[in-house]
Amino acid sequence: MDPDLALPRYGLAYRLFGVVVAVWISVVLVLAVLGPVSNLPILEHTARNLYFHVPMWFVLYAGAVAGAWHAGRYLATGRTVHDVRSEAAWMISTVAGAVALITGVIWARFTWYQGTGLWWSPEPRQNMVAVQLLISGAYFVLRGSLDRPRQRARLSAVYALFATASMPFLTYVLPRRMASLHPGAEGNPAFSDMDIAADMRWIFYAAAVGFLMLAWWLYTQRVRARVAGLRVEALGTAAPLPAPVVS
Amino acid sequence: MQAADTTVAVLDPSAAQAVAVQPARGVERVMLAQDKLPVVLAVVLVIWAGILILLARADRRLARIERQLDAATPPDAARGA
Repeated sequence: MDPDLALPRYGLAYRLFGVVVAVWISVVLVLAVLGPVSNLPILEHTARNLYFHVPMWFVLYAGAVAGAWHAGRYLATGRTVHDVRSEAAWMISTVAGAVALITGVIWARFTWYQGTGLWWSPEPRQNMVAVQLLISGAYFVLRGSLDRPRQRARLSAVYALFATASMPFLTYVLPRRMASLHPGAEGNPAFSDMDIAADMRWIFYAAAVGFLMLAWWLYTQRVRARVAGLRVEALGTAAPLPAPVVS
Repeated sequence: MQAADTTVAVLDPSAAQAVAVQPARGVERVMLAQDKLPVVLAVVLVIWAGILILLARADRRLARIERQLDAATPPDAARGA
């Protein structure tokens, strides 16, 4: 195999990991739907969204960090597999970010903005994340606009580093300086229940871990599929393809 | 009342009244608890099961493609990292 495309073996441990994710998230779903809920006014049962909406943010951050890491590794080593990994991590991160944004809009619409008709609320984190998603989305526009693989990999790696650098400021630092529904801002009542409802806290941690594991599973599938595609391309230029083995 | 024709009851709502409504028990008692939240859970778990089947199938296909590519790679090519 081309050393530029070397991947670890996805053997028994990987399959067991899949079983763990399946069981883990199933248990989380049971606890999330049936478990205790701090039935506060305004939030009511929607407090359960904590288990689904917030882990999407964790996936957004984890994917961006992984994407930036492999972008840096690509610039350092020039190995194609890091470009593939960076792109896959960015894709997972961006999709999770879009899901987090949409779920946040829906959540806020029927709680804090109930009766206002406001779908797009002045929530600062929501607006900043929309900006961040435009920056993240430009990564894929950039990739799509470049034909030569080496140039595409190098330029998008540099851009990925920039896009990751903007993320903590746009989605973390700035929203905390403004009135927000999210935890951490002043006068925010949304999650003070977290300090009381210890049961919710543990389900939330379990959900976060579960969705991060699921994201890693999706990420490895993307990487494997892309690497397989590149290996097929390499075969096509080196030698005629052998007859496919049908099992 | 056990022999009531439930098919008719489904097709014709007015006939449903002919079927005696029994107190919830068994699976119904479970599903009607907690404001019927278990019904939501059942739906969510079925969807999750579908997603898992797709994920597992994708894993299996990827493994097969990787095996075929390993077999097709010329032996003189550099192996490993």
